[in-house]
Amino acid sequence: MTAPFPTPKTDASQRLLGPEELEAALRDIGARRYHNLHPFHRLLHDGKLNKDQVRAWALNRYYYQAMIPVKDAAVLARMEDASLRRVWRQRIVDHDGDAPGDGGIERWLKLAEGVGFRRDYVESTQGILSATRFSVDAYVHFVKERSLLEAIASSLTEMFSPTIISERVAGMLKNYDFITKDTLAYFDKRLTQAPRDAEFAIDYVKQHATTPELQRQAMAALTFKCTVLWTQLDALYFSYVAPGMTPPDAWVPGTGLVAEVAQAAGTGTVRSSDVPRLPRGVRLRHDEVRGQHVLLAPERTFDLDANAVAVLSLVDGQRSVRDIAVKLAETFVADPDVIEADVLVMLNDLATKRVLER
Amino acid sequence: MNAITPNTPSLPAPVGLLAELTHRCPLRCPYCSNPLELDRRSGELDTATWQRVLTEAAGLGVLHVHLSGGEPTARNDIVEITQTCARLGLYSNLITSGVGGALAKLDALYDAGLDHVQLSVQGVDAANAEKIGGLKNAQPQKLAFAERVTQLGLPLTLNSVIHRGNIHEVEGFIDLAVKLGAKRLEVAHTQYYGWAYVNRAALMPDKAQVDQSIRIVEAARERLKGQLVIDLVVPDYYAKYPKACAGGWGRKLMNVTPAGKVLPCHAAETIKHLEFWYVSDHSLADIWANSPAFTAYRGTDWMKEPCRSCDRREKDWGGCRCQALALAGDAAATDPACSLSPLHAKVRELAEEEAAETPPDYVYRTIGSNVDRVAPPPLKEDAPL
Repeated sequence: MTAPFPTPKTDASQRLLGPEELEAALRDIGARRYHNLHPFHRLLHDGKLNKDQVRAWALNRYYYQAMIPVKDAAVLARMEDASLRRVWRQRIVDHDGDAPGDGGIERWLKLAEGVGFRRDYVESTQGILSATRFSVDAYVHFVKERSLLEAIASSLTEMFSPTIISERVAGMLKNYDFITKDTLAYFDKRLTQAPRDAEFAIDYVKQHATTPELQRQAMAALTFKCTVLWTQLDALYFSYVAPGMTPPDAWVPGTGLVAEVAQAAGTGTVRSSDVPRLPRGVRLRHDEVRGQHVLLAPERTFDLDANAVAVLSLVDGQRSVRDIAVKLAETFVADPDVIEADVLVMLNDLATKRVLER
Repeated sequence: MNAITPNTPSLPAPVGLLAELTHRCPLRCPYCSNPLELDRRSGELDTATWQRVLTEAAGLGVLHVHLSGGEPTARNDIVEITQTCARLGLYSNLITSGVGGALAKLDALYDAGLDHVQLSVQGVDAANAEKIGGLKNAQPQKLAFAERVTQLGLPLTLNSVIHRGNIHEVEGFIDLAVKLGAKRLEVAHTQYYGWAYVNRAALMPDKAQVDQSIRIVEAARERLKGQLVIDLVVPDYYAKYPKACAGGWGRKLMNVTPAGKVLPCHAAETIKHLEFWYVSDHSLADIWANSPAFTAYRGTDWMKEPCRSCDRREKDWGGCRCQALALAGDAAATDPACSLSPLHAKVRELAEEEAAETPPDYVYRTIGSNVDRVAPPPLKEDAPL
């Protein structure tokens, strides 16, 4: 950034900045406060986050995406000039799409699904951090309550977003094997949409911030917006990186995921129709000395409870998981679907540890 | 303690027997965990005695037998011994270098009911591996052996002992394990007992290398989930807390030497005042319950401060007694690998100093050498705390 540093002070008693000076001052705010500087984003882009931390980010950020059209509709409602509204309404179209399955929110849902979430869980927003909700809601309230100039100025973070998006896409594709180009489709569109939106907004602010006081308000509005983005990452860092204090009701890893993902044990996923078997070097044995069954495996011993013994006694390289569940359901007079779900969890765990094959 | 029998609930039965069938080995690794004074072939137990020991072990509650050495396939009766394990229901684990006569005996071992093979690999680059192991042409033999193991459908674990001479190859060990079809890989940083203690300055990596190796393993675990299980043993000298040596002294493991001496862990003979019993004089059950070497540091009664009142005393059991003796000069002291030991800072400092210096030449493992005198002396506290 070539912006002057520090930001010129422009309170009511000071001189009016020229349009280019104002733009430079606004850009300087981003250079120092935009969330690409946040440690969480550095970790994200450098591939230092684990899969669950990336999931937490995608889940929380969905609420921000989902509320953007609400925010823009509030701004739109305050515009008395049809030519302004015609420009601004494009933002709502971009985000909501013209039809189901289209638009920015949909693309964000694809991203969330791409990292393993169930769509309905993401849409419910029940697992997001309170700090995410408070920050995003504060943004919506801000554009309703402040002047139109301030509302528009607060959107100017888009001036900085193309940089962060290209860093993010390149970094995430390079560093996470579970992220694909399709997953990140959201950002492709934003690369062209954001500069167009920002160009309109910066022109509007330069034209309408005609006094030192109005210029100060515009800068304060942009600073506020940077804070809205920053606090969301603070909360993610605090809950999911360090010290790892997750508040009650917030998402915990392993929940909200598509069933296959939740059960998946990497490449060794066992499914209902698979025929599991214990390979050479893994043996079910009764240990007379301790009076229990054990599973003997390379360099380790698994102590087994009665349920595990019941399942493993039926693992014979002939029966499928479904056959095993049906047989157990007969013995225990229970719902085979419920039994099968438990059996799959157990067998997948053993497959991940490389002591069960199919 | 003498009143305790294996049936006493407070004394759990051993789960593992490390059977050091012979100290003979074609390799000469400078970090070998065998004692500096190696048993000679003439003193080795005969087949019938090993079979009796295995029978006693099964009766006592042992589940896993680790057929080790030296190189266990150097014994002519290795197939018979493996058959005995299978007959007794004992899980047999062959811990081998894969060189010499190992490949020639592998099919017979498979037929005898061998359960698992753990193959040592000294390096990924053949020249480096053969320098460390001290044996020319070892690497191609190992690779051919590994190939036959997986062809037979036996589960294969690769064991790589990590030190400054191969720590740059950690990623390579992971790739090699995948390529060879291993299900498990042990990335085991060197533990500084026995020959490794003598060679410590030649083996000690620096902290940055250690951290990097841990990061590589963690990333690979995620990437290869369900394909390769990686066990990581982190190096003591850079650790915060010590390891529960052998799962706690006299709690899980018995180690029988080639000559039939029974140890609570493979390095225990370095503690000179302990009285070890032999399988020729006592049953395994009697030794487990009553041998002075086993009762000496079992449980927590023997502990001094800071172990005695520590919350972790039944987690790590005070760490390693042999390391306490080697570094603190007292086998009942807190293992200096523990951050609560007054010597911990010195240990860390020592490791960093040794890692920063040009490594000396290896002192290779040999039978009948007299290297005791070159072992580093214990550390001293600067001032009492």
